[in-house]
Amino acid sequence: MWVTLQASAADRLPVAVAGGVTAALLCAAAFFAVLRDQQVRAARAEVAGLQAELDHLADDTLPAAARRLREGASADTVFTEIPLPDNETHERILRTLTKEISVGHRQRAAAMAACANAAGRVQALATSMLADLREMENRHSEEVLGDLLKLDHSTAQAGRLADSIAVLTGARSGRRWTKPIVMESILRGAMGRIRAYQRVRIHSASTSAIVGYAAEDVMHALAELMDNATKFSAPSEEVHVYVEELHTGVVVTIEDGGLGMKPQALERAKTAVSTTEKLDLTKLSGTRLGLAVVGCIARKHDLHVFFRPSSRGGTGVVLRIPNQLVTQPRTEFPNPPTASQPAVTATGSVRTASAGATRTPSGETMTVVLDGEQPQQPLRSLPKRRRGQTLANSPQPSPSPRPQHPPRPRTDAGAKFGAFRQSTSRGQKPDSPSANQDS
Amino acid sequence: MMVRGAVDSEDPDRLYTLTGGRSRADVRDLDLVTLIVSEADPTPGMQSEHVKILRTCRFPTAVVELASELALPVSVVKILVSDLLDAGQVSARHPSSPRASAELPDPAFLKKVLVGLHNL
Repeated sequence: MWVTLQASAADRLPVAVAGGVTAALLCAAAFFAVLRDQQVRAARAEVAGLQAELDHLADDTLPAAARRLREGASADTVFTEIPLPDNETHERILRTLTKEISVGHRQRAAAMAACANAAGRVQALATSMLADLREMENRHSEEVLGDLLKLDHSTAQAGRLADSIAVLTGARSGRRWTKPIVMESILRGAMGRIRAYQRVRIHSASTSAIVGYAAEDVMHALAELMDNATKFSAPSEEVHVYVEELHTGVVVTIEDGGLGMKPQALERAKTAVSTTEKLDLTKLSGTRLGLAVVGCIARKHDLHVFFRPSSRGGTGVVLRIPNQLVTQPRTEFPNPPTASQPAVTATGSVRTASAGATRTPSGETMTVVLDGEQPQQPLRSLPKRRRGQTLANSPQPSPSPRPQHPPRPRTDAGAKFGAFRQSTSRGQKPDSPSANQDS
Repeated sequence: MMVRGAVDSEDPDRLYTLTGGRSRADVRDLDLVTLIVSEADPTPGMQSEHVKILRTCRFPTAVVELASELALPVSVVKILVSDLLDAGQVSARHPSSPRASAELPDPAFLKKVLVGLHNL
């Protein structure tokens, strides 16, 4: 203003105008600066909000979604369960990822199921082939026995491979035994499934048996351990297997004379057979399935596997079978029931020698005689179907449940007593149903 | 269809594990009717089939009977018996051959009988 006053009258107007314009510009600049400042602040706040939301998405929402998917929920279920992010883009990210993960899980599950199914079929085939081979070994002469044994061995190894795949895919193992299997058979069964079985030496005086439902798995685990022992020792070395019965269970030690294990390999092996860590499929390699299989079986039946250096120079593997899987073998009967001896007859009491047991012409019936004066009724046995066989193919029980001929007395008291034991061992109580047929 | 035994009667061990991979006995004149007699008692830690053979053969038993007793093929039983023979725990009796050769009549005498028969 004072510049305007000091200027000459002629210049006063332009100076005043210039001054006013300048002042107005300054004011505008200041105004815009303040406005800008507010905008920047608002933008910063918005960015911070977005960042927080993004963090929430990355740290909470996505892991939660992945976890639910892993637990088996479908993508749609996950969307309804977890809080969706407010931001539309975040939601799109979440939806895309969830769908992809869900598809991945479904594919994995389908692949596992397909593998398990295929393994089951191969198992069934192998089991039926082994039974057929055994039958042929009985029928054919010495000339072909060697070849049959070779085929038998290859089939047993193929069956073990199928078992391994079944175990890793979470399917059930090969077969269930309906009786306890003695330790000697367990060890020989395990031995028979590996390539270099002739190098395995068994030192066992154990008379224990393994319960039927776990026998197959124990055999499989032992086979894998024996296979490792024979593979990682020189072909000239023998692998020794020792059995010890302790109050904590049965301990099987497998010792080889190989090079031993390096600390790193030992650590990996310990993790693989650990009963606390779950199977990690990503750590499987195509060629080293053995210990992973042993680990799966160990977790299932609470077996304990330890590695230690062997006095023979290689590795010693100790497998402890817990007491609940150990039992005593069923006592052997003087005349075990076989296919050639179809009629099983029994007397409830030895006193009734005159009544005697009946050998029915139908062949497949089981007769229980309670007393000499009491009538008898043959009980029809149910058809038995074995794995890999259709029911139509399985041996049918005889259609004629009643014997046509009057019972023939048998005078052999020893045979009678044996028959009694056989019948009671098959779950026949002495007071089971009697019937209306004359004795 | 092939006839199979009952599922219950099966055992998990395969025949080649019983014989250690051998499919025929070492050259030995064991035949179906050779009588086997045990010379020793079973010891702990023995293969269960060997124990069964030793128990069964307390009385002289033919190879074919052993095979039916153990429910094993005859050729496998021969291998198992030849193991025990090698260890000296059983002995084999060939009832016919030595006595038969000793008591075989003189060929000249047989010829006389033949001529006599022709003349009848």
